[in-house]
Amino acid sequence: MSQPKEIFVVMSRCTACKTCEIACAVEHSGSKNLYGAISEKPIPKSRVYVEWVAPDGKVPIVCRHCEDAPCMHACISGAISRDDEGVVITDSDKCIGCWTCVMVCPYGVIGRHLEEHKAYRCDRCPDREIPACVSSCPTEALVYQTVDAFSSDARKDVAGEMLAGEGD
Amino acid sequence: MSDELKVQEKSIDPAVQQMISKADEKGIVTVWDRYEAMTPQCGFGDTGLCCRHCLQGPCRINPFGEEPKTGICGATADVMVARGLDRAIAAGTAAHSGHAKHLAHTMMKMAKGEAKDYSIKDGDKLKAVAGRLGIAVEGREDMEIAKDVAAAALADFHEKETPVLWAATVVTPGRVKVLSDLGAVPKGIDHEVSEIMHRTLYGVDADAVNLLIAGIRCGVADLAGCYMGTDLADIMFGTPTPVVSKANMGTLKQDMVNIAVHGHNPVLSEIIVAVADDMKKEAVDAGAAGINIVGVCCTGNELMERHGIPSCTHSVSQEMAMLTGAVDAMVVDYQCIMPSVVTVAECMGTKIVTTMDLCKITGAEHIEFREEAAVEKAKEVIRVAIEVFDRRKGKPVDIPDIENTVIAGFSVESIVAALSKLDAEDPLKPLVDNIKNGNIRGVCLFAGCNNVKVPQDKNFKIMAERLLKENVLVVATGCGAGALMRHGFMDPANVDKLCGEGLKAVLTAIGEANGLNGPLPPVLHLGSCVDNSRAVALTVAVANYLGVDTDKLPVVASAAEAVSEKAVSIGVYAVAAGLPTHVGVMLPVLGSPAVTEILTDKVKELTGGYFIVDLDPESSADKLLAAIDERRKGLGL
Amino acid sequence: MAEDKARYVITGGSAAGMAAAQAITEQDLNGIITVLSEEPDMPYFRPLIPYMVTGKKSAGDMQMSGNGPYKGSGIDIHVNSRVDSVNVSERTVSINGQGNISYDKLLLATGSRPYLPPEIKGADANGVFALRTLADAKAMAERVSVTDHAVMIGGGLLNLKAAFALLERGVKVTLVVYSPEVLSQLMEPDDALLIRNALDRAGLKIKTGCSATGILSDKSGVTGVSLDDGSEMPCQMICIGKGVRPNVDFLSGSEIIIDQGIVVNRYTACNTPGTYAAGDVAVTFDPVTGERIMTGLWTNAVEMGRCAGYNMTGRKTAYSGTFGIMNATQIADEPFVSMGIVHTKNTDYEVHVRNTGSTYRKVVFSPDNDRLLGVLFIGDITGAGMYRYVIRENMPINEIKSLIINQRLHYGHFIRN
Repeated sequence: MSQPKEIFVVMSRCTACKTCEIACAVEHSGSKNLYGAISEKPIPKSRVYVEWVAPDGKVPIVCRHCEDAPCMHACISGAISRDDEGVVITDSDKCIGCWTCVMVCPYGVIGRHLEEHKAYRCDRCPDREIPACVSSCPTEALVYQTVDAFSSDARKDVAGEMLAGEGD
Repeated sequence: MSDELKVQEKSIDPAVQQMISKADEKGIVTVWDRYEAMTPQCGFGDTGLCCRHCLQGPCRINPFGEEPKTGICGATADVMVARGLDRAIAAGTAAHSGHAKHLAHTMMKMAKGEAKDYSIKDGDKLKAVAGRLGIAVEGREDMEIAKDVAAAALADFHEKETPVLWAATVVTPGRVKVLSDLGAVPKGIDHEVSEIMHRTLYGVDADAVNLLIAGIRCGVADLAGCYMGTDLADIMFGTPTPVVSKANMGTLKQDMVNIAVHGHNPVLSEIIVAVADDMKKEAVDAGAAGINIVGVCCTGNELMERHGIPSCTHSVSQEMAMLTGAVDAMVVDYQCIMPSVVTVAECMGTKIVTTMDLCKITGAEHIEFREEAAVEKAKEVIRVAIEVFDRRKGKPVDIPDIENTVIAGFSVESIVAALSKLDAEDPLKPLVDNIKNGNIRGVCLFAGCNNVKVPQDKNFKIMAERLLKENVLVVATGCGAGALMRHGFMDPANVDKLCGEGLKAVLTAIGEANGLNGPLPPVLHLGSCVDNSRAVALTVAVANYLGVDTDKLPVVASAAEAVSEKAVSIGVYAVAAGLPTHVGVMLPVLGSPAVTEILTDKVKELTGGYFIVDLDPESSADKLLAAIDERRKGLGL
Repeated sequence: MAEDKARYVITGGSAAGMAAAQAITEQDLNGIITVLSEEPDMPYFRPLIPYMVTGKKSAGDMQMSGNGPYKGSGIDIHVNSRVDSVNVSERTVSINGQGNISYDKLLLATGSRPYLPPEIKGADANGVFALRTLADAKAMAERVSVTDHAVMIGGGLLNLKAAFALLERGVKVTLVVYSPEVLSQLMEPDDALLIRNALDRAGLKIKTGCSATGILSDKSGVTGVSLDDGSEMPCQMICIGKGVRPNVDFLSGSEIIIDQGIVVNRYTACNTPGTYAAGDVAVTFDPVTGERIMTGLWTNAVEMGRCAGYNMTGRKTAYSGTFGIMNATQIADEPFVSMGIVHTKNTDYEVHVRNTGSTYRKVVFSPDNDRLLGVLFIGDITGAGMYRYVIRENMPINEIKSLIINQRLHYGHFIRN
């Protein structure tokens, strides 16, 4: 079985433009285009959050689909399950809006849709090959790769920096 | 990483398609590649919810109504969107009027004898303009009148006791009242631009409605700039009369020194055209068959309407002209010149020559143009092209064998003159009668640019085809005109195919009466983008003839593929004049439902005009037809 | 052993039992797992039973097997199977006084039952409920058709949920609360204003500082309730929500140590070999206070059950305890989260309260102001899980204190600092 891909964040590349947030909300809209999406009811929601850490840290945060997903086990209505790809999915129909998942998620990435009284979270864009946040990121701060590929790239980057350092 | 746009999705112009494929083969990056690299575009900017007006920023407001809901200063989405729109209007106004101011200075130098290469080509128009401005003409020398007209033009830029004359004297009396009541009569063109910059500064105007009214006032100032640009160019370079020309890249000639003049202001290109003959010998000496001047964008339109200079291509495809390998020099003045032309030129051997101090491009050769030495400078520019030709000659080129016949040169004066062949006493009567009897269902002006977000020309073509079939008289300016001319819409031979029966009859009757042995072209070329003033002038003339205001006429406008902030300011003055005005790409206003509603609906109560923002050409055409019919109904037609 | 396959017996088919069963299936692919439930229904998500009263969910919608993390395969579930004794030396349990089954590993997850205060006389009348099981909910739903007015005795979360289910069915509901305010287990009276307002808006009648003394009934069932202030209220339904007690009676006489609930070590194991306990029935500890506590929380039961499941398969897993208070929910239109220590009256905790009119926030720090002990968020519960994390991990809070006070914490603060 091939290793599933995950969304990784290269924080040094994030400029906090929040393009990912908009792309995410648009992908989770009815019309799937910005002009339509912003006037839809219920309001489409982003499931990625670009946060700021003083003085200059920009941190995109998105559901990790944890191996030991606390939200899934805590859910009191059986609305959260893991699919074959390893993606932790919230089934809106089953969600009763008790917010237990919000209470137990240590990443703070589960949103509350107040109009619909439902919890929502990253679903890794089931209709897309690459999640909308990743493909929208203008600086490639978001990366969609397998754990192995990402860590190997990260090693190469470090190696590249070391080589560059030697050339100085 | 996005899917590569197919060539057909980039442009529907077959010549441009050929060049896009060539660019792909050669690995030359073009506007479409850069667009792809830019997508998806920033949703905050797209909805007008991005503000960089102060150093506390940048601020962006969430378009979905979540936090942040205001800027750091507290500006709401409504305020942010209205401020941004105002600045776009100001920029457009500054550009059109900057063009006009340049002509006014040239005219002043001419009148003072400091620019001997310029002269008065249309004394009648000079007197007509002077008369409109209240400048004495009786018994005066043309140059004296010209000096006063130039002074009046320059005076219109700053605040003075009178309002902007090029605005107040060019609209209907009723419109003057409407605009006065609204507080939308500009005091000075530069003053309005400057005031927009002031009121949109950090911590000034924070009332969306107030901001938008100021925007309308600035838009009316833009009308003044455009109108002045047309007037002064007509006086110095001649008022257009119908002329046969050609369009598209087939107008480039392998064996000639090809000079593409690109930009907007005819002040230099007119002289280049004038001295081309004198320079022919140098070209021939270099091995060329002659000098071939072609236009790009509105400089092209200016030369086409006055001299029948062919148009090579327009707007979004400006880089493509050079892909032919046949353009020796692209001589640019200002506005709508993509900085990328330098890069493409470098790949293709073209020399980009910038000529204006306010428009230099790194990597281009700059030859500073001076009206005082116009001929000398024009020759210097042509010599650059000849030099390039000398190196190019004998090498293969890829000139698409595509060109369209164009009849251009429809100024209001030439239209009235043509109509007078039907009724010498009352020339507007045949036009108005045909509007009344329904042969002409209404009038639509196509204006503006080609936007990379739209397959080039597609919106113009689909909408014009539809409206012509529905007997709407279509007039066009700028790159809207450029689009339509490259698809045969300005070739009288296509009237049969394109026009509804009523319209066909009218175009044929006028054509026959003018000894053309056939109809006028399906779409009338009114000129460049400043020449949108001609559309206003024609509308005002008909309105005055009927004794109604312009917001009652079945006249609509469309910037179907708009790009420039100039298109925004033009759109605003079209709405200020009372016209239903279509924009075929999204304005960055959706982030404020309130501003969007004002622009598309509530402004109707103020000026009678309104924006129709619709990205689908078919439904856009439906909406324009509905607007036309609504107005016909209002007139009891 | 005669065979390699381990025999896991789980008494109790709710949160802890099913979570343990699921955890075992993930760890021991050959194990034989038997879940024994005394209830007539297949395991279901107990917190959903108010939806049986509203009619918004059917019993089928509430099934655990096949929903959430519960795959439902590889587990042998027996309903109507009450374990009445455990023989720890023989490693057998007896079911319904009939047969015995043997186990290698036993999980005691028998949960708890409602506490019915003996001072309330007449509680055996028809129409008196303590909403605990799906069967209770079904019966309650049936009673709605003859109920004009229902009185809820006790102001806890369970009774509030039941009250809202009844309100939704068009029943008039009065809540009788002995405490000065509702939800006294989860917050102090001063904290409850927003919730109280929401309850008022929703049309719930509330009598505080008052308790029931007797239930009036005739052959039709309940006809009213008498209160300790001498008044009587006519009603056709009564719901008692006065807390729960662990189901440990069946263990009397066994060697398993009971101290109110079943006593377990850090690895959820009892004092006897091969025996584990989890959920409401087990005595656990609060990582904040270190105190031994018992909770009636679904979420806690699942977590402890999973932990026990792992330990039963030999994967040694320490249970990290739970807060005595750890509740998230939405009452009427008011969401809230209460966790850790939130009762601060007459304590020397450092308490920060912020009331905006539409949101209420109480943040409790240790007296030495070094640790976060509890938070109560009402109205805006954004990022609640991160505060839970901070409390539970006993994190030093110097750097992030103001972020916590202002509810501005996000995960970035943990990775950037």
